[in-house]
Amino acid sequence: MIGNTQGNNGHSTAVGFSSVLEPLKLFSKYREFGLVIFALVLIVVATSIQPRFLNPVNVRDLLIQAAPLLIVTLGQAFVILVRGLDLSVASLMATVAVLATEFNAESNAMILPIFLLAIVFSATVGLINGLLVTKRSVSPFLVTLAMMIMLQGLRFFITQGAPGGSLPSGFRVLGNGTLIGIPINLLVALALAYLLYLLLHRSKFGRGVFIVGGNPRSADLVGIRSDRTTIWCYVICSVLAGIGGLFLVGFVGTVDNWVGRGYELDSIIAAVIGGVVLSGGRGSILGALLGAFILVLVFNVIIIVGLPVQGQLIVKGLVIIGAAALYANWVKN
Amino acid sequence: MKAVVVNFQRLGRARQWNISTIVLTVMIALTILIGTLVNSHFASWGNLSNILEQAAGLGFASIGQTLTILTGGIDLSIGMIISASTVFLAATVDGRDSLVWPMVIATLAMGTSIGIINGVVISRLKVHPLIVTLGMAAILEGCILLFTLKPTGSIPFWFEEFAWGRLNGIPIAALSMFVAFIGVALFLSRTGLGRSLYAYGDNIEAARLRGIPVNRVCVFVYATSGFFAALAGVYFVSRTGIGDPRIGVPFTLTSITPVIVGGTLLSGGKGGVIGTLFGVLLLSLIGNVLNHMNVSTSIQWVIQGLIILAAVSFYLRKGDK
Repeated sequence: MIGNTQGNNGHSTAVGFSSVLEPLKLFSKYREFGLVIFALVLIVVATSIQPRFLNPVNVRDLLIQAAPLLIVTLGQAFVILVRGLDLSVASLMATVAVLATEFNAESNAMILPIFLLAIVFSATVGLINGLLVTKRSVSPFLVTLAMMIMLQGLRFFITQGAPGGSLPSGFRVLGNGTLIGIPINLLVALALAYLLYLLLHRSKFGRGVFIVGGNPRSADLVGIRSDRTTIWCYVICSVLAGIGGLFLVGFVGTVDNWVGRGYELDSIIAAVIGGVVLSGGRGSILGALLGAFILVLVFNVIIIVGLPVQGQLIVKGLVIIGAAALYANWVKN
Repeated sequence: MKAVVVNFQRLGRARQWNISTIVLTVMIALTILIGTLVNSHFASWGNLSNILEQAAGLGFASIGQTLTILTGGIDLSIGMIISASTVFLAATVDGRDSLVWPMVIATLAMGTSIGIINGVVISRLKVHPLIVTLGMAAILEGCILLFTLKPTGSIPFWFEEFAWGRLNGIPIAALSMFVAFIGVALFLSRTGLGRSLYAYGDNIEAARLRGIPVNRVCVFVYATSGFFAALAGVYFVSRTGIGDPRIGVPFTLTSITPVIVGGTLLSGGKGGVIGTLFGVLLLSLIGNVLNHMNVSTSIQWVIQGLIILAAVSFYLRKGDK
């Protein structure tokens, strides 16, 4: 009896809310479209409060800041799509950055080797995450939490608490420079996004990712090796985090033990805003891209309209709960 | 029919308990043995009672975390509720004797209310607990940092008794921690609401069909988590004498480790607070031994990660999930 009453209550509230939010259903078919509208509304509101928002300098800063988060969020999306979660990305970003400075490389010729090394290191971390999640069926939350703490330990062990190396000057250009007015790191992020778009939405592997995320058991039944697909997703996520870490260092200009702190949660938040569902199997590259962009946009708007910087945290919390509630209740999947 | 189901569940739970309790007791004994080999004063009551006293903060925080994990959820706002409680309590009391008890009650009420909000959003809006509590943590952090950026407030000297005082040589803080753990353990095994947490964590739809008011259970669980986080906050104010906006930060994640080590499965429905108590004791002892061995913090982090992985792998093999 009680159960029934509960069920009815839940139903009627849901109906009540959905009629209030009827216009939102217009965007339900293409949630990316809704996200673009939301971003545009945000830009218009911000500009009307503070015209300086559309100043080319601010726009460039915003895009440069967005690029590392875009890169990391793309990876996070892959892991979330296969019902996972990667809490180790920020720790990996910092560890890769700290390792890179250990070479004390001066010449710009070293940039490529450093990138390759970072990719190999990150891929190993991703492989370990993926193997533990699939072969030992440990929950992704705990695997990546343990990995986060262990990478943190490794980093402090290497640096003894004070990273002191240096990076070639070219990193600064990669992370902070522009090419015909467009930030270089944004170009890289978009190029990566395009490649990942082809991988996720136009390849056999990508179809496998969605099937595994939807239901790992049925994936095995239709001949997709769900373990292998999942492991690849963790590797992709970690590699992107490593690359994102190097670009972030290029943007910030200095390396400390906490480069990228907070990116693990921000990338999850961005992916959720972008419509990548935490229970797996639903989401898109474009959505993840827009989610990350909107998050950085919100941060920037708060500063530019003169709200205190702590407001970023409050708005971040409200936005993530709001976005998740929106997708869970009112936007059709 | 109902009774059969409940009995079956209790049996399953008892088996899980026995394994984890025995293994954890052996581990604790081993750790004390190793500690004694490292430093002959390790097993002295002075050192052990200090460890117990310091474990109370982690203990309170992980009681709430156990309940949320037991229901298949997680509370990532615990750290920020602790911070918010310390700042709120220390700043409002500000050294005035008469305000201590009213403000302690107000702090606990605040923590509980934050938990209630978490629970309502999770159960009514059907949003994943991870996201709700993560969002709540961000909102709380923003509010705390708007209020103060540095440690603030003060308390009367006598209030430090809670964290530093001894009753016949037994630390009051440790005593309150044990009372809290035993109370919650009895609640989980002896009351209908307590048992319904297991049903909820096992399968929420089945629990709903069996007539368990799942939404209320959910709100209750997160409210309890908020209450114990606030209690941990009160302990830290008593311990440090000040409200520190950063003090809770590590506890969001460290409160999860003893729960996992204690044998509560992250997927929900299995485990209990006694396992968590053993987990808290074991982790505190290991931390203390490593400190005696002069092991650097970085290596301790690596060990902490390995402990989590080892514990999870162990329970996955022994348990049936």
